[in-house]
Amino acid sequence: MSKLGVFDISVRYGKVPAISDLTFHLEEGERVFISGPNGAGKSSFLNAICGKVPTSHGRIEMDGDLLTGRSPEAIARLGLSMVPEGREIFGSLTVEENLRVGTGIRQDAQAIETDIEEIFAAFPILGERRRAAAGALSGGQQQMLAIGRALMTNPKLMMVDEPSLGLAPKIVDQVYDTLAALQEERGLTLLIVEQSSLRAARVGGRMVLMRGGRIVGEGNAADMADRDALAQAYFGNSHPEPEAVA
Amino acid sequence: MTNFAQLFFDAASLGGLYAMAALGIALIFGVMNLVNFAHGEYIAFCVFALIVPSTDAVAVMLLGRAPALILVPLILALGAAIAIASEHAVFRHLRRADPVAMMISSFALGFVIRNALLAAYGGRPKAISLWPDLNTPVRIAGAEVPLLQLIVILTTLLVVAGLAALLKKTRLGLEMRAAAENFTMARLLGVKANVVITGAFALSGALAAAVALIMATQTGVADVRMGGQVMLVAFIATVIGGLGSLPGAVAAGFLIGAASVLLQAFLPLDARPFRDAFLYTLVIVCLLVRPQGLFVAASAKPRV
Repeated sequence: MSKLGVFDISVRYGKVPAISDLTFHLEEGERVFISGPNGAGKSSFLNAICGKVPTSHGRIEMDGDLLTGRSPEAIARLGLSMVPEGREIFGSLTVEENLRVGTGIRQDAQAIETDIEEIFAAFPILGERRRAAAGALSGGQQQMLAIGRALMTNPKLMMVDEPSLGLAPKIVDQVYDTLAALQEERGLTLLIVEQSSLRAARVGGRMVLMRGGRIVGEGNAADMADRDALAQAYFGNSHPEPEAVA
Repeated sequence: MTNFAQLFFDAASLGGLYAMAALGIALIFGVMNLVNFAHGEYIAFCVFALIVPSTDAVAVMLLGRAPALILVPLILALGAAIAIASEHAVFRHLRRADPVAMMISSFALGFVIRNALLAAYGGRPKAISLWPDLNTPVRIAGAEVPLLQLIVILTTLLVVAGLAALLKKTRLGLEMRAAAENFTMARLLGVKANVVITGAFALSGALAAAVALIMATQTGVADVRMGGQVMLVAFIATVIGGLGSLPGAVAAGFLIGAASVLLQAFLPLDARPFRDAFLYTLVIVCLLVRPQGLFVAASAKPRV
Protein backbone atom coordinates (compact mmCIF):
# COMPACT_ATOMS: atom_id res chain seq x y z
CA MET A 1 0.00 0.00 0.00
CA SER A 2 1.42 3.34 -0.94
CA LYS A 3 1.67 6.26 1.48
CA LEU A 4 -0.60 8.43 -0.58
CA GLY A 5 -2.95 7.21 -3.25
CA VAL A 6 -4.77 9.62 -5.53
CA PHE A 7 -7.30 7.88 -7.74
CA ASP A 8 -8.78 9.62 -10.74
CA ILE A 9 -9.57 12.95 -9.05
CA SER A 10 -11.00 16.07 -10.63
CA VAL A 11 -11.16 19.56 -9.15
CA ARG A 12 -13.16 22.37 -10.65
CA TYR A 13 -13.74 25.98 -9.66
CA GLY A 14 -17.25 26.64 -10.85
CA LYS A 15 -17.15 25.38 -14.43
CA VAL A 16 -13.41 25.80 -14.83
CA PRO A 17 -11.57 22.50 -14.44
CA ALA A 18 -8.32 22.81 -12.48
CA ILE A 19 -7.50 19.10 -12.30
CA SER A 20 -8.87 16.39 -14.57
CA ASP A 21 -8.81 12.63 -13.88
CA LEU A 22 -5.50 12.70 -12.09
CA THR A 23 -4.02 9.50 -10.61
CA PHE A 24 -0.86 9.54 -8.54
CA HIS A 25 0.97 7.43 -5.94
CA LEU A 26 3.53 8.36 -3.35
CA GLU A 27 5.60 5.75 -1.48
CA GLU A 28 6.68 5.90 2.14
CA GLY A 29 9.81 8.04 2.62
CA GLU A 30 9.79 9.23 -0.98
CA ARG A 31 10.55 12.76 -2.16
CA VAL A 32 8.50 13.89 -5.14
CA PHE A 33 8.61 17.20 -6.95
CA ILE A 34 5.64 18.48 -8.85
CA SER A 35 6.70 20.81 -11.60
CA GLY A 36 4.95 22.56 -14.43
CA PRO A 37 3.95 25.97 -15.72
CA ASN A 38 1.66 28.43 -13.95
CA GLY A 39 -1.95 27.31 -14.00
CA ALA A 40 -0.99 23.64 -14.40
CA GLY A 41 -2.99 22.75 -11.29
CA LYS A 42 -0.05 22.10 -8.96
CA SER A 43 -1.41 24.07 -6.02
CA SER A 44 -4.95 22.83 -6.66
CA PHE A 45 -3.55 19.31 -6.45
CA LEU A 46 -2.01 19.92 -3.01
CA ASN A 47 -5.10 21.81 -1.85
CA ALA A 48 -7.32 18.89 -2.86
CA ILE A 49 -5.15 16.45 -0.88
CA CYS A 50 -5.18 18.54 2.32
CA GLY A 51 -8.93 19.18 2.11
CA LYS A 52 -8.75 22.87 1.32
CA VAL A 53 -10.69 22.48 -1.90
CA PRO A 54 -13.26 19.74 -2.57
CA THR A 55 -12.81 17.19 -5.34
CA SER A 56 -15.66 16.73 -7.79
CA HIS A 57 -14.65 13.19 -8.64
CA GLY A 58 -12.35 10.39 -7.49
CA ARG A 59 -10.83 9.57 -4.12
CA ILE A 60 -7.67 10.22 -2.12
CA GLU A 61 -6.22 7.83 0.48
CA MET A 62 -3.40 8.11 2.96
CA ASP A 63 -2.19 4.93 4.67
CA GLY A 64 -5.46 3.36 3.58
CA ASP A 65 -7.58 6.07 5.26
CA LEU A 66 -9.96 7.88 2.95
CA LEU A 67 -9.17 11.62 2.90
CA THR A 68 -11.84 12.62 0.42
CA GLY A 69 -14.75 14.38 2.11
CA ARG A 70 -12.88 14.96 5.37
CA SER A 71 -12.36 18.43 6.83
CA PRO A 72 -8.86 19.96 6.71
CA GLU A 73 -8.49 19.58 10.48
CA ALA A 74 -9.44 15.91 10.32
CA ILE A 75 -6.88 15.32 7.57
CA ALA A 76 -4.21 17.15 9.58
CA ARG A 77 -5.01 14.86 12.50
CA LEU A 78 -4.30 11.83 10.31
CA GLY A 79 -0.71 13.02 9.90
CA LEU A 80 -0.64 15.28 6.87
CA SER A 81 0.92 18.70 7.18
CA MET A 82 1.10 21.55 4.74
CA VAL A 83 3.51 24.42 4.11
CA PRO A 84 1.33 26.57 1.88
CA GLU A 85 2.29 28.85 -0.94
CA GLY A 86 3.17 32.27 0.43
CA ARG A 87 3.92 30.74 3.87
CA GLU A 88 0.71 32.02 5.49
CA ILE A 89 2.32 32.35 8.89
CA PHE A 90 0.27 34.03 11.64
CA GLY A 91 1.84 37.48 11.61
CA SER A 92 0.25 38.77 14.80
CA LEU A 93 1.31 35.71 16.81
CA THR A 94 4.81 35.31 18.18
CA VAL A 95 7.25 32.93 16.53
CA GLU A 96 6.82 30.39 19.30
CA GLU A 97 3.01 30.69 19.23
CA ASN A 98 3.10 29.95 15.51
CA LEU A 99 4.89 26.72 16.29
CA ARG A 100 2.34 25.81 18.96
CA VAL A 101 -0.81 26.26 16.88
CA GLY A 102 -0.40 22.82 15.34
CA THR A 103 0.40 20.98 18.56
CA GLY A 104 -3.24 20.71 19.64
CA ILE A 105 -3.51 17.38 17.85
CA ARG A 106 -0.69 15.83 19.87
CA GLN A 107 -0.90 14.16 23.27
CA ASP A 108 2.83 14.01 24.06
CA ALA A 109 3.27 17.29 25.99
CA GLN A 110 6.92 16.58 26.83
CA ALA A 111 7.90 15.79 23.27
CA ILE A 112 6.29 19.04 22.11
CA GLU A 113 8.70 21.03 24.25
CA THR A 114 11.76 19.14 23.03
CA ASP A 115 10.54 19.47 19.42
CA ILE A 116 10.25 23.23 19.81
CA GLU A 117 13.78 23.43 21.16
CA GLU A 118 14.94 21.22 18.30
CA ILE A 119 13.43 23.59 15.77
CA PHE A 120 15.10 26.54 17.48
CA ALA A 121 18.36 24.62 17.37
CA ALA A 122 17.93 23.97 13.65
CA PHE A 123 16.90 27.59 12.95
CA PRO A 124 18.78 29.70 15.56
CA ILE A 125 17.31 32.94 14.21
CA LEU A 126 13.82 31.71 15.11
CA GLY A 127 15.00 30.88 18.62
CA GLU A 128 16.44 34.34 19.04
CA ARG A 129 13.14 35.89 18.04
CA ARG A 130 10.80 33.39 19.66
CA ARG A 131 8.82 36.09 21.44
CA ALA A 132 8.77 38.52 18.52
CA ALA A 133 5.77 38.91 16.24
CA ALA A 134 6.18 36.50 13.34
CA GLY A 135 5.04 39.19 10.90
CA ALA A 136 8.31 41.04 11.47
CA LEU A 137 10.45 38.15 10.15
CA SER A 138 12.08 38.27 6.73
CA GLY A 139 10.71 36.13 3.91
CA GLY A 140 13.33 33.44 4.36
CA GLN A 141 12.79 33.32 8.10
CA GLN A 142 9.05 33.08 7.55
CA GLN A 143 9.62 30.13 5.22
CA MET A 144 11.68 28.40 7.93
CA LEU A 145 8.94 29.16 10.44
CA ALA A 146 6.27 27.76 8.13
CA ILE A 147 8.29 24.55 7.79
CA GLY A 148 8.87 24.39 11.54
CA ARG A 149 5.19 24.99 12.18
CA ALA A 150 4.21 22.17 9.82
CA LEU A 151 6.71 19.84 11.55
CA MET A 152 5.20 20.56 14.96
CA THR A 153 2.09 18.56 14.05
CA ASN A 154 4.40 15.55 13.85
CA PRO A 155 3.38 14.69 10.28
CA LYS A 156 3.96 11.50 8.36
CA LEU A 157 3.51 13.27 5.05
CA MET A 158 4.49 16.89 4.51
CA MET A 159 3.51 18.93 1.47
CA VAL A 160 5.43 22.08 0.58
CA ASP A 161 4.01 24.51 -1.98
CA GLU A 162 6.64 26.55 -3.85
CA PRO A 163 9.15 27.02 -1.04
CA SER A 164 11.42 29.03 -3.32
CA LEU A 165 8.81 31.66 -4.15
CA GLY A 166 10.16 35.16 -3.53
CA LEU A 167 13.37 33.95 -1.88
CA ALA A 168 16.97 34.65 -2.84
CA PRO A 169 18.73 31.60 -4.41
CA LYS A 170 21.05 31.25 -1.43
CA ILE A 171 18.09 31.12 0.96
CA VAL A 172 16.39 28.58 -1.30
CA ASP A 173 19.50 26.38 -1.01
CA GLN A 174 19.17 26.60 2.76
CA VAL A 175 15.49 25.71 2.67
CA TYR A 176 16.14 22.60 0.57
CA ASP A 177 19.12 21.54 2.67
CA THR A 178 16.88 21.76 5.71
CA LEU A 179 14.08 19.79 4.08
CA ALA A 180 16.48 17.06 2.96
CA ALA A 181 18.07 16.83 6.42
CA LEU A 182 14.66 16.67 8.09
CA GLN A 183 13.55 13.92 5.78
CA GLU A 184 16.68 11.92 6.56
CA GLU A 185 16.17 12.35 10.31
CA ARG A 186 12.47 11.73 10.56
CA GLY A 187 11.70 9.44 7.69
CA LEU A 188 9.27 12.03 6.36
CA THR A 189 7.51 11.62 3.05
CA LEU A 190 7.74 14.85 1.06
CA LEU A 191 5.62 16.22 -1.75
CA ILE A 192 6.99 19.51 -3.04
CA VAL A 193 5.74 21.90 -5.70
CA GLU A 194 8.75 23.40 -7.44
CA GLN A 195 8.63 25.27 -10.73
CA SER A 196 12.32 24.96 -11.43
CA SER A 197 13.23 21.52 -12.74
CA LEU A 198 16.92 22.39 -12.34
CA ARG A 199 16.39 23.05 -8.67
CA ALA A 200 14.54 19.76 -8.30
CA ALA A 201 17.35 17.94 -10.10
CA ARG A 202 19.93 19.40 -7.77
CA VAL A 203 18.01 18.27 -4.67
CA GLY A 204 17.14 14.90 -6.19
CA GLY A 205 14.05 12.73 -6.16
CA ARG A 206 11.20 11.79 -8.44
CA MET A 207 9.67 14.49 -10.58
CA VAL A 208 6.15 14.73 -11.89
CA LEU A 209 5.39 17.20 -14.63
CA MET A 210 1.91 18.73 -14.71
CA ARG A 211 0.21 20.71 -17.41
CA GLY A 212 -3.44 21.63 -17.93
CA GLY A 213 -4.57 19.81 -14.79
CA ARG A 214 -3.00 16.49 -15.80
CA ILE A 215 0.26 14.65 -15.26
CA VAL A 216 2.14 14.77 -18.57
CA GLY A 217 5.50 13.34 -17.58
CA GLU A 218 7.25 11.53 -14.81
CA GLY A 219 10.76 10.36 -13.98
CA ASN A 220 13.96 10.89 -12.08
CA ALA A 221 14.37 14.63 -11.46
CA ALA A 222 17.92 14.68 -12.79
CA ASP A 223 16.93 12.97 -16.08
CA MET A 224 13.90 15.19 -16.48
CA ALA A 225 15.99 18.33 -16.01
CA ASP A 226 18.55 17.02 -18.55
CA ARG A 227 15.81 16.45 -21.04
CA ASP A 228 14.54 19.94 -20.30
CA ALA A 229 17.96 21.42 -20.86
CA LEU A 230 18.41 19.46 -24.06
CA ALA A 231 15.03 20.46 -25.39
CA GLN A 232 15.73 24.01 -24.51
CA ALA A 233 19.07 23.90 -26.27
CA TYR A 234 17.53 22.56 -29.47
CA PHE A 235 14.09 24.12 -29.55
CA GLY A 236 14.49 27.25 -27.48
CA ASN A 237 11.83 26.24 -25.01
CA SER A 238 10.64 22.82 -23.92
CA HIS A 239 7.16 24.04 -22.91
CA PRO A 240 4.75 26.26 -24.77
CA GLU A 241 4.40 28.49 -21.68
CA PRO A 242 7.18 31.02 -21.26
CA GLU A 243 7.63 30.60 -17.49
CA ALA A 244 7.82 26.81 -17.63
CA VAL A 245 11.52 26.50 -16.91
CA ALA A 246 12.96 28.92 -14.45
CA MET B 1 -21.47 72.96 38.13
CA THR B 2 -19.51 70.25 36.53
CA ASN B 3 -17.62 67.83 38.61
CA PHE B 4 -14.76 66.20 36.76
CA ALA B 5 -14.63 63.15 38.98
CA GLN B 6 -18.32 62.66 38.28
CA LEU B 7 -17.75 62.98 34.56
CA PHE B 8 -14.90 60.52 34.73
CA PHE B 9 -16.99 57.86 36.46
CA ASP B 10 -19.93 58.43 34.10
CA ALA B 11 -17.68 58.14 31.07
CA ALA B 12 -15.81 55.10 32.33
CA SER B 13 -18.93 53.16 33.26
CA LEU B 14 -20.80 53.95 30.04
CA GLY B 15 -17.64 53.24 28.06
CA GLY B 16 -17.19 49.97 29.92
CA LEU B 17 -20.68 48.88 28.96
CA TYR B 18 -20.04 49.72 25.29
CA ALA B 19 -16.63 48.05 25.43
CA MET B 20 -18.10 44.78 26.68
CA ALA B 21 -20.81 44.80 24.05
CA ALA B 22 -18.25 45.65 21.34
CA LEU B 23 -16.01 42.79 22.47
CA GLY B 24 -18.92 40.42 22.06
CA ILE B 25 -19.31 41.48 18.45
CA ALA B 26 -15.59 41.64 17.65
CA LEU B 27 -14.97 38.12 18.98
CA ILE B 28 -17.38 36.55 16.52
CA PHE B 29 -16.36 38.79 13.67
CA GLY B 30 -12.76 37.77 14.28
CA VAL B 31 -13.31 34.07 13.76
CA MET B 32 -16.03 34.00 11.12
CA ASN B 33 -16.37 37.44 9.53
CA LEU B 34 -19.89 37.68 10.85
CA VAL B 35 -21.34 40.90 12.24
CA ASN B 36 -23.89 39.34 14.54
CA PHE B 37 -26.80 41.77 14.69
CA ALA B 38 -28.68 39.38 16.95
CA HIS B 39 -26.27 40.35 19.73
CA GLY B 40 -28.64 43.03 21.00
CA GLU B 41 -31.39 40.43 21.24
CA TYR B 42 -29.12 38.17 23.29
CA ILE B 43 -28.94 41.07 25.74
CA ALA B 44 -32.72 41.51 25.81
CA PHE B 45 -33.19 37.76 26.17
CA CYS B 46 -30.97 37.69 29.25
CA VAL B 47 -32.82 40.60 30.82
CA PHE B 48 -36.19 38.93 30.30
CA ALA B 49 -34.90 35.66 31.69
CA LEU B 50 -34.90 37.46 35.04
CA ILE B 51 -38.69 37.71 35.14
CA VAL B 52 -41.69 35.42 34.86
CA PRO B 53 -43.13 35.31 31.32
CA SER B 54 -46.46 37.18 31.29
CA THR B 55 -47.95 40.12 29.49
CA ASP B 56 -48.83 41.91 32.77
CA ALA B 57 -47.41 45.36 33.32
CA VAL B 58 -45.90 44.38 36.65
CA ALA B 59 -42.86 42.18 36.46
CA VAL B 60 -42.51 39.23 38.80
CA MET B 61 -38.97 38.07 39.33
CA LEU B 62 -38.11 34.56 38.18
CA LEU B 63 -34.36 33.95 38.00
CA GLY B 64 -33.96 37.47 39.36
CA ARG B 65 -34.96 36.17 42.77
CA ALA B 66 -31.85 34.04 43.09
CA PRO B 67 -28.96 35.39 45.16
CA ALA B 68 -26.24 37.14 43.16
CA LEU B 69 -23.74 34.34 43.64
CA ILE B 70 -26.05 31.98 41.78
CA LEU B 71 -27.74 34.50 39.52
CA VAL B 72 -24.63 35.93 37.88
CA PRO B 73 -23.12 32.62 36.72
CA LEU B 74 -26.58 31.42 35.75
CA ILE B 75 -27.29 34.40 33.49
CA LEU B 76 -23.80 34.29 31.99
CA ALA B 77 -24.33 30.60 31.20
CA LEU B 78 -27.74 31.41 29.73
CA GLY B 79 -26.21 34.07 27.47
CA ALA B 80 -23.55 31.61 26.35
CA ALA B 81 -26.25 28.99 25.77
CA ILE B 82 -28.43 31.13 23.50
CA ALA B 83 -25.38 32.22 21.51
CA ILE B 84 -24.20 28.63 21.06
CA ALA B 85 -27.73 27.52 20.19
CA SER B 86 -28.04 30.21 17.51
CA GLU B 87 -24.70 29.17 16.04
CA HIS B 88 -25.92 25.57 15.83
CA ALA B 89 -29.32 26.48 14.45
CA VAL B 90 -28.35 29.21 12.00
CA PHE B 91 -24.74 30.21 11.42
CA ARG B 92 -23.27 26.69 11.23
CA HIS B 93 -25.20 26.14 8.02
CA LEU B 94 -23.88 29.35 6.53
CA ARG B 95 -20.14 28.90 7.07
CA ARG B 96 -19.39 28.90 3.39
CA ALA B 97 -21.95 31.59 2.65
CA ASP B 98 -21.23 35.16 1.69
CA PRO B 99 -20.63 37.49 4.69
CA VAL B 100 -23.60 39.55 3.56
CA ALA B 101 -25.85 36.49 3.66
CA MET B 102 -24.62 35.71 7.17
CA MET B 103 -25.24 39.27 8.31
CA ILE B 104 -28.76 39.26 6.95
CA SER B 105 -29.53 35.97 8.67
CA SER B 106 -28.28 37.49 11.92
CA PHE B 107 -30.91 40.22 11.45
CA ALA B 108 -33.50 37.52 10.87
CA LEU B 109 -32.40 35.64 13.96
CA GLY B 110 -32.65 38.87 15.92
CA PHE B 111 -36.23 39.34 14.76
CA VAL B 112 -37.10 35.79 15.75
CA ILE B 113 -35.73 36.23 19.27
CA ARG B 114 -37.32 39.66 19.62
CA ASN B 115 -40.75 38.47 18.52
CA ALA B 116 -40.53 35.41 20.73
CA LEU B 117 -39.91 37.78 23.64
CA LEU B 118 -42.81 39.99 22.51
CA ALA B 119 -45.12 36.97 22.40
CA ALA B 120 -44.09 35.79 25.84
CA TYR B 121 -43.81 39.11 27.66
CA GLY B 122 -45.85 41.65 25.70
CA GLY B 123 -44.58 44.85 24.15
CA ARG B 124 -44.76 47.25 27.10
CA PRO B 125 -41.57 47.99 29.01
CA LYS B 126 -41.73 46.59 32.52
CA ALA B 127 -40.29 47.95 35.71
CA ILE B 128 -37.95 45.50 37.33
CA SER B 129 -35.95 45.82 40.46
CA LEU B 130 -32.67 43.97 40.37
CA TRP B 131 -30.26 44.78 43.18
CA PRO B 132 -31.77 48.25 43.83
CA ASP B 133 -29.22 48.83 46.62
CA LEU B 134 -26.51 49.17 44.01
CA ASN B 135 -27.95 52.49 42.87
CA THR B 136 -27.31 54.16 46.21
CA PRO B 137 -24.57 56.74 45.72
CA VAL B 138 -21.17 56.61 47.35
CA ARG B 139 -18.96 59.66 47.75
CA ILE B 140 -15.60 59.38 46.01
CA ALA B 141 -13.26 62.29 45.30
CA GLY B 142 -16.08 64.77 45.71
CA ALA B 143 -18.39 62.92 43.32
CA GLU B 144 -21.65 61.15 44.04
CA VAL B 145 -21.14 57.82 42.32
CA PRO B 146 -23.69 55.02 42.37
CA LEU B 147 -22.06 51.86 43.63
CA LEU B 148 -23.14 50.19 40.39
CA GLN B 149 -20.93 52.50 38.33
CA LEU B 150 -17.92 51.40 40.29
CA ILE B 151 -18.94 47.78 39.85
CA VAL B 152 -19.36 48.31 36.11
CA ILE B 153 -15.92 49.87 35.77
CA LEU B 154 -14.35 47.11 37.85
CA THR B 155 -16.22 44.39 35.96
CA THR B 156 -15.11 45.79 32.63
CA LEU B 157 -11.50 45.82 33.71
CA LEU B 158 -11.82 42.26 35.03
CA VAL B 159 -13.54 41.06 31.85
CA VAL B 160 -10.93 42.67 29.61
CA ALA B 161 -8.05 41.35 31.72
CA GLY B 162 -9.65 37.90 31.92
CA LEU B 163 -10.28 37.77 28.19
CA ALA B 164 -6.74 38.92 27.45
CA ALA B 165 -5.40 36.20 29.76
CA LEU B 166 -7.63 33.61 28.13
CA LEU B 167 -6.49 34.61 24.65
CA LYS B 168 -2.82 34.80 25.62
CA LYS B 169 -2.43 31.89 27.98
CA THR B 170 -4.81 29.12 27.00
CA ARG B 171 -4.87 26.63 24.18
CA LEU B 172 -8.34 27.80 23.09
CA GLY B 173 -7.10 31.40 23.12
CA LEU B 174 -4.14 30.56 20.91
CA GLU B 175 -6.39 28.71 18.48
CA MET B 176 -8.88 31.58 18.44
CA ARG B 177 -6.19 34.13 17.66
CA ALA B 178 -4.71 31.93 14.95
CA ALA B 179 -8.16 31.29 13.48
CA ALA B 180 -9.01 34.99 13.60
CA GLU B 181 -5.97 35.75 11.49
CA ASN B 182 -6.19 32.87 9.00
CA PHE B 183 -8.93 30.35 9.58
CA THR B 184 -8.01 27.97 6.77
CA MET B 185 -4.37 27.80 7.80
CA ALA B 186 -5.36 27.11 11.40
CA ARG B 187 -7.55 24.23 10.23
CA LEU B 188 -4.71 22.85 8.11
CA LEU B 189 -2.77 22.65 11.37
CA GLY B 190 -5.51 20.59 13.00
CA VAL B 191 -7.38 23.39 14.79
CA LYS B 192 -11.02 22.31 14.97
CA ALA B 193 -13.25 24.93 13.42
CA ASN B 194 -16.25 23.92 15.51
CA VAL B 195 -14.38 24.24 18.81
CA VAL B 196 -13.06 27.69 17.99
CA ILE B 197 -16.36 29.02 16.70
CA THR B 198 -18.37 27.56 19.57
CA GLY B 199 -15.86 29.06 21.99
CA ALA B 200 -16.21 32.48 20.38
CA PHE B 201 -20.01 32.34 20.51
CA ALA B 202 -19.99 31.21 24.14
CA LEU B 203 -17.75 34.08 25.18
CA SER B 204 -19.76 36.53 23.11
CA GLY B 205 -23.03 35.35 24.68
CA ALA B 206 -21.60 35.59 28.19
CA LEU B 207 -20.53 39.16 27.44
CA ALA B 208 -24.05 39.95 26.26
CA ALA B 209 -25.35 38.54 29.55
CA ALA B 210 -22.98 40.72 31.56
CA VAL B 211 -24.23 43.77 29.66
CA ALA B 212 -27.81 42.64 30.32
CA LEU B 213 -27.28 42.41 34.08
CA ILE B 214 -25.72 45.85 34.20
CA MET B 215 -28.44 47.46 32.09
CA ALA B 216 -31.23 45.82 34.05
CA THR B 217 -29.81 47.12 37.32
CA GLN B 218 -29.02 50.56 35.94
CA THR B 219 -32.28 51.31 34.16
CA GLY B 220 -34.68 49.22 36.22
CA VAL B 221 -36.56 48.42 33.02
CA ALA B 222 -37.02 45.33 30.90
CA ASP B 223 -37.71 46.38 27.33
CA VAL B 224 -37.54 44.25 24.20
CA ARG B 225 -35.79 47.09 22.39
CA MET B 226 -33.13 47.68 25.03
CA GLY B 227 -30.43 45.62 23.34
CA GLY B 228 -30.80 47.35 19.98
CA GLN B 229 -29.35 50.71 20.93
CA VAL B 230 -26.36 49.19 22.71
CA MET B 231 -25.81 46.85 19.79
CA LEU B 232 -25.70 49.80 17.41
CA VAL B 233 -23.13 51.68 19.46
CA ALA B 234 -21.12 48.51 20.01
CA PHE B 235 -21.09 47.79 16.29
CA ILE B 236 -19.87 51.30 15.61
CA ALA B 237 -17.17 50.78 18.23
CA THR B 238 -15.96 47.63 16.52
CA VAL B 239 -15.80 49.46 13.18
CA ILE B 240 -13.97 52.46 14.60
CA GLY B 241 -11.62 50.18 16.51
CA GLY B 242 -10.88 48.18 13.38
CA LEU B 243 -13.13 45.20 12.66
CA GLY B 244 -11.76 42.06 14.23
CA SER B 245 -9.36 43.86 16.56
CA LEU B 246 -10.25 43.08 20.17
CA PRO B 247 -8.10 45.78 21.81
CA GLY B 248 -9.50 48.18 19.21
CA ALA B 249 -13.08 47.28 20.15
CA VAL B 250 -12.42 47.90 23.84
CA ALA B 251 -10.63 51.19 23.25
CA ALA B 252 -13.29 52.44 20.84
CA GLY B 253 -16.05 51.39 23.26
CA PHE B 254 -14.52 53.54 25.97
CA LEU B 255 -13.93 56.34 23.49
CA ILE B 256 -17.58 56.46 22.42
CA GLY B 257 -18.75 56.28 26.01
CA ALA B 258 -16.48 59.15 26.96
CA ALA B 259 -17.45 61.25 23.94
CA SER B 260 -21.11 60.71 24.68
CA VAL B 261 -20.77 61.79 28.32
CA LEU B 262 -18.60 64.77 27.47
CA LEU B 263 -20.98 65.98 24.77
CA GLN B 264 -23.86 65.67 27.22
CA ALA B 265 -21.96 67.78 29.75
CA PHE B 266 -20.48 70.48 27.56
CA LEU B 267 -22.89 71.01 24.67
CA PRO B 268 -25.00 74.16 24.97
CA LEU B 269 -28.36 73.33 26.55
CA ASP B 270 -30.28 73.87 23.31
CA ALA B 271 -28.06 71.41 21.45
CA ARG B 272 -28.17 68.61 24.00
CA PRO B 273 -31.23 66.89 22.57
CA PHE B 274 -29.17 66.43 19.43
CA ARG B 275 -26.22 64.89 21.27
CA ASP B 276 -26.30 61.72 19.18
CA ALA B 277 -26.11 63.75 15.98
CA PHE B 278 -22.87 65.28 17.23
CA LEU B 279 -21.63 61.89 18.39
CA TYR B 280 -22.20 60.27 15.02
CA THR B 281 -20.62 63.24 13.28
CA LEU B 282 -17.48 62.43 15.24
CA VAL B 283 -17.85 58.81 14.15
CA ILE B 284 -18.01 59.89 10.51
CA VAL B 285 -14.92 62.04 10.96
CA CYS B 286 -13.09 59.06 12.50
CA LEU B 287 -14.02 56.88 9.56
CA LEU B 288 -12.99 59.51 7.04
CA VAL B 289 -9.60 59.94 8.65
CA ARG B 290 -8.90 56.27 9.39
CA PRO B 291 -11.27 54.03 7.42
CA GLN B 292 -9.30 50.94 8.46
CA GLY B 293 -9.98 51.67 12.14
CA LEU B 294 -8.23 53.74 14.77
CA PHE B 295 -6.31 50.93 16.41
CA VAL B 296 -5.20 48.69 13.58
CA ALA B 297 -1.44 48.41 13.32
CA ALA B 298 -0.14 49.59 9.95
CA SER B 299 2.41 46.74 9.96
CA ALA B 300 -0.21 44.00 9.92
CA LYS B 301 0.45 43.20 6.26
CA PRO B 302 2.08 39.91 5.33
CA ARG B 303 5.50 39.91 3.72
CA VAL B 304 6.29 38.22 0.47
